[in-house]
Amino acid sequence: MPYTATIDSAACAAHGDCEAIAPEIFAIEDVAVVVGTGPDELLLEAARICPSVAIVVTDSETGEAVYP
Amino acid sequence: MRGGIVIAGGGLAAQRAAETLRRGGYDGRLRMICAEHHRPYDRPPLSKEVLAGVEHGAFRPAAWYEEHGVELELGVAAAGLDCRQRAVSLADGRELRYDRLLIATGSRPRRLALLDGFANVHTLRTLDDARALRTAIVDGGRLVIVGAGFVGQEVAAAAARAGVQATIVEAAAAPLQALLGIEVGSWFAKLHRSHGVEVILGTEIAAARGTHHVEALMLRDGRRLACDHIVVGIGVDPDLAWLAGSGLDPTGVAVDADGRTAAPDVFAAGDAAATYDPVLRRHVPGGHWESAVRQGVAAARAMLGREPQRSAPASFWSDLYDTRVQYLGNARLADETAIDGDPAARDFAITFTRDGAPVAVLLVGRPHELPNARALLAA
Repeated sequence: MPYTATIDSAACAAHGDCEAIAPEIFAIEDVAVVVGTGPDELLLEAARICPSVAIVVTDSETGEAVYP
Repeated sequence: MRGGIVIAGGGLAAQRAAETLRRGGYDGRLRMICAEHHRPYDRPPLSKEVLAGVEHGAFRPAAWYEEHGVELELGVAAAGLDCRQRAVSLADGRELRYDRLLIATGSRPRRLALLDGFANVHTLRTLDDARALRTAIVDGGRLVIVGAGFVGQEVAAAAARAGVQATIVEAAAAPLQALLGIEVGSWFAKLHRSHGVEVILGTEIAAARGTHHVEALMLRDGRRLACDHIVVGIGVDPDLAWLAGSGLDPTGVAVDADGRTAAPDVFAAGDAAATYDPVLRRHVPGGHWESAVRQGVAAARAMLGREPQRSAPASFWSDLYDTRVQYLGNARLADETAIDGDPAARDFAITFTRDGAPVAVLLVGRPHELPNARALLAA
């Protein structure tokens, strides 16, 4: 699981879609926050469905941005 | 007992404000006045999943309100405000004293007077509206949608998906023409036609034929449209008639960036709030989902005495036939547009510029480009 997720808190509008599909990774406060880890595919899926495109997925091994 | 915080309204801005208040440590009395009988719920699914027969449920279970000490008053609307007495009167005659008040009563759909009183005329704002419209779609008759805004378009898409014969009637020469211009708007007309939706442009409803049910609509251009159900989607107005006589503007309560109104300890958020538009140089009511969230959170943070959060400009999204449409900025200001991508493939971006500077971006089928669009507009 080399992928890590961070939240662009200025972009996040707390839609909650990430928390809905991956509650072990994301939680909604005033904006979304990362609270855990999970499979790469789940991180990517959450990033792709985010209507605000506020989840940034990075490959922690290469440091490269995976999404968006 | 002190009045604590009263939230007038039970929509998105109201709910997010309540959550931010409790999360931020506010432990005083907290009451929410919800005109509907349902616990607060999310509205975007109403014109999407709910019309397809999939219900989403409320934001939070009943237990959440108990655990967080949030007193929900369901099925009773705010009916009046006395800023001097710090009291909100309710439709059932009660009066609630407040220390601080959040006005978050949202908006209500505009109606067409000539369609008032007919049983088969719908609007789409509430869960009850969506359920009734879902029943109409399942019923399978001919559906006429008045207005080609986003709600009307999403209804058309849901109807087409359900195999219902749908017709959109729009007064302008293209859907969303006032916002996006005729060229971009025409793309939306084409999209719906390719899914079997009839799109009639440049004319209006002149009259309705029928007694209790509208059997046919007469258009100004002389056409007669037989119909079984009608949806009116011609925009919304702030739901603020209850503010009459309060000193606050019932057409949209002017707020600052923290949601403060001109009245002491009275805040407003969501569709009820009118925020300052630096381009138009006046307060403008209404907004979208993201602005409602941010304003609800911002007002709550201001009540808690916390710093405002930094946030990007709100963007708007819609889903039409599995294609995501996103929009941010203000395309009304534009004098030119540039397109990147392939409209026929539902994969393109349109940049709206004014004097060469970007003022808005429309993304179709390109959700991942939203951060770039934000950066472009911020530059």
